[in-house]
Amino acid sequence: MKEFPLDPGVAERLRALGTVDLLVGIPSYNNASTIGHVVKAAAGGVAKYFPGRRVVIVNSDGGSKDGTPDVVAEAELGAPSAILVSHPIEPVHKITTPYHGIPGKGSALRTIFAIAERLQARACAVVDSDVRSVAPSWMELLLGPVLSHGMDFVAPLYLRHKFDGTITNSIVYPLTRALYGKEVRQPIGGEFGFSGRLASHYLAQPVWESNVARFGIDIWMTTTALADGFRVCQSFLGAKIHDPKDPGADLAEMLVQVVSSVFDLMETYEDRWKTIEGAGEVPLFGFPHGVGLEPVNVNVGRMLGIFRQGVRDLGEIWAHALDEPTRREVAALATIETEGSFRFPDPLWVRLVHDFALAYRRRAINRDQLLRSLVPLYLGRTASFVLDNDTSDAVEVEAAIRALADEFVRQKPRLRERWGS
Amino acid sequence: MLEDVIRTTFVEFGARLRAFAPNLIAMVVLLLAGLLLAGAVRLSLAFLLPRLGIDRLAERAGLAEVARKGGLARTPSQVIALVLAWAVLTAFVLFAVAALDLQVAMGLVTRAFTWLPQLLVALALLLVGGLVAGFVRRSVLIAAVNAGLPSARLLASATHAALVVLFSAMALEQVGLGQGVILVAFALFFGGVVLALALAFGLAGKDLARESLERLLRRREPEDEDGLKHL
Repeated sequence: MKEFPLDPGVAERLRALGTVDLLVGIPSYNNASTIGHVVKAAAGGVAKYFPGRRVVIVNSDGGSKDGTPDVVAEAELGAPSAILVSHPIEPVHKITTPYHGIPGKGSALRTIFAIAERLQARACAVVDSDVRSVAPSWMELLLGPVLSHGMDFVAPLYLRHKFDGTITNSIVYPLTRALYGKEVRQPIGGEFGFSGRLASHYLAQPVWESNVARFGIDIWMTTTALADGFRVCQSFLGAKIHDPKDPGADLAEMLVQVVSSVFDLMETYEDRWKTIEGAGEVPLFGFPHGVGLEPVNVNVGRMLGIFRQGVRDLGEIWAHALDEPTRREVAALATIETEGSFRFPDPLWVRLVHDFALAYRRRAINRDQLLRSLVPLYLGRTASFVLDNDTSDAVEVEAAIRALADEFVRQKPRLRERWGS
Repeated sequence: MLEDVIRTTFVEFGARLRAFAPNLIAMVVLLLAGLLLAGAVRLSLAFLLPRLGIDRLAERAGLAEVARKGGLARTPSQVIALVLAWAVLTAFVLFAVAALDLQVAMGLVTRAFTWLPQLLVALALLLVGGLVAGFVRRSVLIAAVNAGLPSARLLASATHAALVVLFSAMALEQVGLGQGVILVAFALFFGGVVLALALAFGLAGKDLARESLERLLRRREPEDEDGLKHL
């Protein structure tokens, strides 16, 4: 297979390095304000938990204009006492390289995979460059299961506010669990650990000119590891705090990107998920604990307003995905006047998600329009979840999410039958 | 003498009729053939096109929906079959007229064939316009609903109507029908709409205009904001 082209300067450095045991990849684009901390945490983590190992930190940059590569080059761990070690710390090799291809995190990671393959890295980790809560212990939790316990893929497990990650909680997690039969709680976490073997496998897949390169890399990495039979586990990393994204970021755009990635992968791996029954646990590393989280403001009234308007105005579009009985059930929900009484039942939601997946597959209408029309339904479901769990604690909320996930498993035969061949 | 004139007239008329008869018969034959062929084309396309997935394609593109809203009860396959059948019949009518070999008729046939490419372009513009208008209407409707705009359907319908008017005007201009009239009517319509809106906001509803602009430009109040991280 043709070798992935790297910048001549980078290729030269890799030749000089030879091989490494561990690689930490940090994709970036204009993250000068946060990446320094990430690099120091990574350097501190490998120094503390993997002394004596050959390590390289690779920053795959998308052409930052704010001096991000310079921050990476200048970031130093400082005194060993900062990470409570007394042994001498060897300097960590750092490489900053621009990535080529379609702009997006996927292309950045492709470069990291290529470097991992060239350096024959045994264990690799990827950390987002805007994470403020990254700590040295994350290196042990992402690399340790690969290096010492034979794992190929480490998914992150974060502690989140009970109302955060509603796309993950109501669609991505339960659907991925039901399809591929493994309990990976946060399939699009952003931080991952993986073996050099899996990095080579990723690199060999023909996805780098598709949406995987633009925005679907996280779910693609998780799904590929699950569907292609690699050993998967989870590591508890605690809270994830990252730079606030643009508050005007469009929910519809986010939903389209994430859900289209999941639905595309359903087509890619249909031969695999159709044969899987039930869902099992995966090994969990780390020490789950509670963390104080900031309260979250939720405007349920606005969500319900958009849901009701969707029922009123988008029936003709939903008709391409949902049958008449389902549309009637949804319309009945819109007639509930008392906000506190509004509940979007799990079985209806699961049926709806499956029917949208089927409509997406058969291209009933333009796919982008189909998924954007899901937004009012998603907001209705989210409003119901918030109302139902307003006074629940984290354990009760997690139980409710697990109940939804079990419903996805229960209705999988219906999905399988309608998907056909 | 008079008898001779009358006899000669009848003889000459008979001769002309005999000379013209083949052309007349050819015309009738061509018309009949056209009718038969048009019928065959319609039946065979009405049978084949649904099986080729044309109706599904039109449904996906939103054309079928637009046609239904326009009061068209027939399926897209049936419409295409009908249009092509009429095209075949029209062609045979022209052949039939040409068979008469009359100067006036030949002139008409020549002009018809010269005009045909422009008619085809106009039909293509209408088809493309219908597709574009239907797609844009759907996109506007979904975006407006997701943004919580109360007049989403009105906005979508207005956008659709504007695009249909635009493409229709282009199609009519292409076939050269009332070019000046269409252009002026189009300019008056859109100019009038813009002027009316400007007057309404600028003069009669300046307070409402100010409130609407303030609403559009200001960030949502904290109680409107969601703190949810959806991913």
